[in-house]
Amino acid sequence: MEFHLDRRSTLSFVCKACGYCCTGKIIMVGPHEVLGMSCLLGISTSEFLALYTDNGGTTLRSEADGRCVFVTASGCRVHPQRPLVCRLYPLGRMIDETGVERFALYPLQSECKAEVDREGTIEAFLKTQGVEPYLEWSRRYGELYRRMVGLLDQLCVQGKFDAAATGATESADLESAGPEQELDRGPLSLWQDIDASLAEYCTAQGLAVPGEIDEAIALHCRAIAEWLDDLESRIGEVRNDPEEMREE
Amino acid sequence: MAKKEEWNSVTRRDVLKLAGTAAAFCTSFGFLHGSQTGVVVQDKHLQARWQQAEIKWYAGSELLNSSVIPVKVMKHLQSDVDATVEIKLYRAGQLLRSLGTIQAKH
Repeated sequence: MEFHLDRRSTLSFVCKACGYCCTGKIIMVGPHEVLGMSCLLGISTSEFLALYTDNGGTTLRSEADGRCVFVTASGCRVHPQRPLVCRLYPLGRMIDETGVERFALYPLQSECKAEVDREGTIEAFLKTQGVEPYLEWSRRYGELYRRMVGLLDQLCVQGKFDAAATGATESADLESAGPEQELDRGPLSLWQDIDASLAEYCTAQGLAVPGEIDEAIALHCRAIAEWLDDLESRIGEVRNDPEEMREE
Repeated sequence: MAKKEEWNSVTRRDVLKLAGTAAAFCTSFGFLHGSQTGVVVQDKHLQARWQQAEIKWYAGSELLNSSVIPVKVMKHLQSDVDATVEIKLYRAGQLLRSLGTIQAKH
């Protein structure tokens, strides 16, 4: 797959809602997308993650025939809150190592009824799909992700991560988490569950839980950032005292 | 509630939570390859289908030989629903006949 297109590249794509593109795909979902879809369905993010996601809460579940769990004969059940990857399709998007945004055009499935041409531009297509807020949230979660990787890197440099990964206490933790299937079903991290993590954060901070999706996502990012601030300060202290890491 | 002095250290639970969150975000946002986001990924059913493929040789109804398809061929068929592979029979470097075409979507 070559990412050689940019926003000025020509593209027009008219979806005919045939559903073929919604079959046999792995649809990745972030916590903000889970929140949007769960609000639309009138359930909590905890329920959504349990009912509609796989792979540790990171992808939408598929039916036995490969169809996305939300595809029906009359279309997508969560279309107004569909994830970024669905909005981008048939495009893939990446930011290259120099920070430049690039796109790739995926080959359509042979049965797909969509009309693809070169009448418009990628920029215009993205506007019709309402991707900008999703790209902004991806960028903000990406910044948090890079801080997490930086912290893990620091822990590895100190040999702490390896020590933790082979420690008897951690083995016991993993065993108590249940068989592999159960790990797969539940979210990998509480931070993926915005309702649950914000309820915990707001209780601790004495705040009201936001009612609006955008406010909830913003507070979610703030809560994660504060958690990372705390970890960074503690890891800084650990670096001065390599024997300091404790078991809980 | 942890004792005050315990907040001066990093626990294994902290490390697990950090690694779990990083792994989840990495997968959810497609950060695995640099800053890549928003990629609708592989056709997992196509992959599973061709992972189980075998070539069988028969003499009438008798099965003479069975083998999995070569990895390179399998990866090609898994790569795209429109991928095709031609099978050709050679002897002493000379093409005897084409045995047909396999399409990934079959």
